Amino acid sequence: MQLVTITLAFLGSASTALAALAQHLPQTSITISLPSAPPGDVSGKLFVFPPSTHGTLSTFGQTKSAPLSVANTLVFRNVTQGSYLLDIHCATHAFAPLRVDVAPTLDGVLEEGDGHGNVKLEVKAWQTYRGNDWDNKGEEAPRQTLKNGRDGGVVFGAKVLGEKGYFMERSKFSILSILRNPMILLGLVSMVIFLGMPKLVENMDPEMRAEWEENQKKNPMNALMGGGGAPAAPNFDMAAFLAGTSAKKEESSGDAAASTGGGAQQGGKKRRG
Amino acid sequence: MHLPTQLSALLLVALPSAVRAVFQDEVGHIDYHYELLGLPQRETTFFHKPRRDDKASLLYTLSDVGVLGAVNPSSGAILWRQLLNGTITDGGGFLRAGEGQNWLASAYGQSVHAWDAVNGRNKFWMDFAGEVKDLEVMEMTENNRKDILALFDENESTVLRRLSGNDGRVVWEYMETSGDVPLQVSTNVEKVFVISLRGSAGAYNLKVTILDALSGKREDELVLGTKADVHDKDDVILVGANSAAPIIAWTDDTRQQLRVSVLGQKTRQEFALPADTISVEIHAPHIVQSQPHFLVHSKTSTGHTAEVYHVNLRTNVITKAYQLPFTSGPGAFSTSSNGANVYFTRITDEELVIFSSTSDTVLGRWPLKTTESRLVALHGVSEVVKKAGTDSYAVRSAAVTDTDEWILIRNGDVVWSRPEGLTGAVAATFVEIPESENLAKTLEQEAHSNPLEAYIHRVKRHLEDLQYLPTYLKNIPTRLMSSILGTEVSSHDVKLARDTFGFHKLVVLATRRGMIYVLDAGDHGKILASKRVFDLPTGQKWAVAGIKADDSTGIVTILGTNNDETTVKILPGTSFNIEVLSKGPEGSPATQSAALLNTVSGPRLFPVGLDGELQGLTSDILPNQVAVVRGSDKELKGVAIADGKQTVSWTFVLPKFQRIVDIAARPPHDAVASIGRVLGDRTVKYKYLNPNTLVVAAVDESTKIPSLVIYLLDTVSGQILASSKHEGVDPNKHIECAMAENWFTCTYFGQYRLRDGAQSLKGYQIVVSDLYETDKPNDRGVLGDAENFSSLGPIDAPGDVPLPSVVSQTFILSAPISALEVTQTRQGITSRQVLAYLPENHGIVGIPRMVLEPRRPVGRDPTAAEAEEGLIKYHPAIEIDPKSVHTHERDVIGVQKIIAAPAVVESTSLVFAYGIDVFGSRVAPSFLFDILGKGFNKVTLIGTVLAITAGVMILSPMVRRKQINALWGAPM
Repeated sequence: MQLVTITLAFLGSASTALAALAQHLPQTSITISLPSAPPGDVSGKLFVFPPSTHGTLSTFGQTKSAPLSVANTLVFRNVTQGSYLLDIHCATHAFAPLRVDVAPTLDGVLEEGDGHGNVKLEVKAWQTYRGNDWDNKGEEAPRQTLKNGRDGGVVFGAKVLGEKGYFMERSKFSILSILRNPMILLGLVSMVIFLGMPKLVENMDPEMRAEWEENQKKNPMNALMGGGGAPAAPNFDMAAFLAGTSAKKEESSGDAAASTGGGAQQGGKKRRG
Repeated sequence: MHLPTQLSALLLVALPSAVRAVFQDEVGHIDYHYELLGLPQRETTFFHKPRRDDKASLLYTLSDVGVLGAVNPSSGAILWRQLLNGTITDGGGFLRAGEGQNWLASAYGQSVHAWDAVNGRNKFWMDFAGEVKDLEVMEMTENNRKDILALFDENESTVLRRLSGNDGRVVWEYMETSGDVPLQVSTNVEKVFVISLRGSAGAYNLKVTILDALSGKREDELVLGTKADVHDKDDVILVGANSAAPIIAWTDDTRQQLRVSVLGQKTRQEFALPADTISVEIHAPHIVQSQPHFLVHSKTSTGHTAEVYHVNLRTNVITKAYQLPFTSGPGAFSTSSNGANVYFTRITDEELVIFSSTSDTVLGRWPLKTTESRLVALHGVSEVVKKAGTDSYAVRSAAVTDTDEWILIRNGDVVWSRPEGLTGAVAATFVEIPESENLAKTLEQEAHSNPLEAYIHRVKRHLEDLQYLPTYLKNIPTRLMSSILGTEVSSHDVKLARDTFGFHKLVVLATRRGMIYVLDAGDHGKILASKRVFDLPTGQKWAVAGIKADDSTGIVTILGTNNDETTVKILPGTSFNIEVLSKGPEGSPATQSAALLNTVSGPRLFPVGLDGELQGLTSDILPNQVAVVRGSDKELKGVAIADGKQTVSWTFVLPKFQRIVDIAARPPHDAVASIGRVLGDRTVKYKYLNPNTLVVAAVDESTKIPSLVIYLLDTVSGQILASSKHEGVDPNKHIECAMAENWFTCTYFGQYRLRDGAQSLKGYQIVVSDLYETDKPNDRGVLGDAENFSSLGPIDAPGDVPLPSVVSQTFILSAPISALEVTQTRQGITSRQVLAYLPENHGIVGIPRMVLEPRRPVGRDPTAAEAEEGLIKYHPAIEIDPKSVHTHERDVIGVQKIIAAPAVVESTSLVFAYGIDVFGSRVAPSFLFDILGKGFNKVTLIGTVLAITAGVMILSPMVRRKQINALWGAPM
């Protein structure tokens, strides 16, 4: 394959130099058939692609352009020998690029297209990947036959990658999106608790209520949550609670903590526990 | 080995963070687009019914810029367009339609094509060796199919081909190697006529070759007239076709005699033209069924007249039927046929009149109702309809006016007008709206008087300003509402003034037809004024060497290449006006470009002669300036200017076989926010910010495979600062460069094998190079913190040359790009985009600098430090993401150049593109970070505030009650 590329480059420059003679080089026609409707299109319109859609066959020294035809094809005529990059330019859809090689048949295999002159030309097409080695070809594009394609030469199908999206979606305002926000959810839950708890407590039977209230008093968190209104436990030490030590243990561990600091205090706790 | 397509698709998904796309609701708000065709040409414009059974007809034209298009005659909207040559052309081409056919045949250059008349798709496209000289549709053929006759000039020989109307295949071919000049082709029902000029320049004879329509065999050959009486091919006015009796008409070079001959006959008849005739046109129907009548329109310098002639089909004798009265002033005629009836429409500057070809009775007369003071129609086409059951007629005419507009007149009313003159633009610039001079003067006056007087004056001035208060207050509600709802305030009666954001700028556009347009970039590109600067003779174009706008005075200076100079002064005031002073073109082109030099009174343009000599230098030019010019041998020269004298300080001669293809310099406004780039590890790479640099792209054709050499030159010393060579670059495709800040970029088509031989590449590429002071971060190199540096200073040691350190990277593009431009913002803080036109996709793309970053890590993922810097992993291919296309769904064709200008707000750059279409937009490469865009929903904001207020109003009594209850309730 290496050799071929080098000679192609040579041919490219030679064809520019001999532009007048170019018409005498063996030529062929290549037809690219576009799908009448891209996959997923259900509108049923026959002409989905705008008339500005066209294809280009480019290689060193030349670019051939073919407009979209009434039969949904791109017809490149008078294509001479070379290795071409085929791009299909469409305003609405993106197409996969193809590598198209037009080379003389080597071993007398029957020619394709309407090659004039003595040299028979063979046309092959592969998927190509931009930014990769030119010789790094994908699978060979299958040939197609057109119903009335008499002189269109070799026919290949074009692959639609997808529709082009030119616009950015603007984030829309909706209540749901606000409700989905975790902060709002947290707020809502606490609001439900704040408003709903007293109602629940009222509906409890007296015994359970007394028990629950007893528990409430013991739970120091309640004092924190209750704010100024509720009377807090008189001998509750907030700092000790937050530090993870209970009021009872505090008395005995006090000395050790004062002298040796955090590490020793923990050690002391373990021993005692 | 393959890179799966999914991966590249993923890359596309990953990129949008760096891409600023257009929002759907911004379309038409931030951007504007004139979808244009170009000026319709006389011979290639017509009404045609795209469907045989349909009554509605469309207007088709092949314009002088090479656009073939269909226009809805009732609205003026474009239905489809095709740019035939792929680029802007200088007129020419052919367009014909067969009666009752749903296709059109066109030809340009070496190709003949047919198009579906309804949807604009191609029927066939055939390329031939020769150049097309004429095209005709055969109305009558043996197999009921309409075929195309195309006349070619192939290497001195005349070739006529009959192409099948179905698929373009050659039915027969007729070749003649007589050396005669092929002129036109014509046909009647059974014969084909090839008209060529025999003889030598200045003394031609008309030769008519008669061919059999069925076989293409030559039947006869006639030479009209005995003496060589055709001076030039322009003297042949008309060769009618598809008429029952096609005629050929020509005049002598003094326009005194009109000679007419029916094709196929040897005889000719002579008619005297009115005295002082300067030009003659003939209008004849193109349908076989129509009566063989024709109208001769003769123009004199003061007015015009017309005579109608009839051809007798049996005797082939031409007789004059009647003459229309002479009318002073300009006028245009057009033909319309309806079956056998032929109507002629006359448009003068006052009225529209229709006649029948049989008698001079006026069938309809309508005075022209236009908003313009005077409507001058140059040529037009019309369609006359007889109202069913009555004797009255309706007519619609599409005419090209002398102000380069295409208008449609229906029964005297102008239904639409298309500013087709905007096409073929050759130069444009942004200019600020000049501020009212009075305010500036008063402020100055106040500053210079004593404090008390100044105070009294100021109080007085403010009291005077109070008179505007009521209108201001009155406008507040509407402004508030429009601000909330996002609608636009109509600015029709508001004085043209700058706005706070700096979006309101004017664009002055010069076209090759010698017209000046002033567009309002802040108001959807509305045309504020247009003016013909000078009348150019046919075939001559206005070439602009340089254009410069002075923002403080509102004066735009345009230097042409033909010794012409134009000054456009924008006059501030309630009614917009421009004042144009022009020195018309004279002599042969003598200017290659224009140099912008600083003078005592600000920068000014000076013409550069063809030999590279600056002209008209004055002594008020500030010293120490260097202009870079092209010498007579295409070399580059640095010209130092001092005291009005010029000395060549350096010459840059390229090696043999190399030729310059593009030159790019930093734009005049190129603000740099930071002199260094802070890397991820908090070290700084210092940018090489030399204002005197120039990128020169040259093609080296010394080897079999051409290569591209890019030089970075110091314009003061002419020294090469950096150079790079790219092998395997196609010199016939776009090679363009752009430069800004400390980097430059070039695009080309490359086909080569990598140095290691492992891979070969083919495709459109873009190379971007960054310039830094040194390779190492935190190092400013030999110059260090020096305040001054000299490009001419001595270099002590070889290693001490203050050459920039260059980092380059090449990418493969998924589509070719042209007309490169870099966005400009006021302070240069905003990241940049490389704006480029996509000639194949018909759009303008903005490639973010973040993508075109030479320091992107290759072959590995970026480290944390690099990621922090915003570097993404290098991927060789840049797919043109539709989201980065600023023109989005619009089909913008033929853009030749893009210009950018900063707005007042830092985030935004104003963009304007011209060529065939005109497009303008606002681009924010780093998003709108300093103003609220359309996405800021003021209604939601106000709604939220109201909702919260309502919530507080409801909740606060509840909470208060609860607190009181808690305080008074029994303790638990």
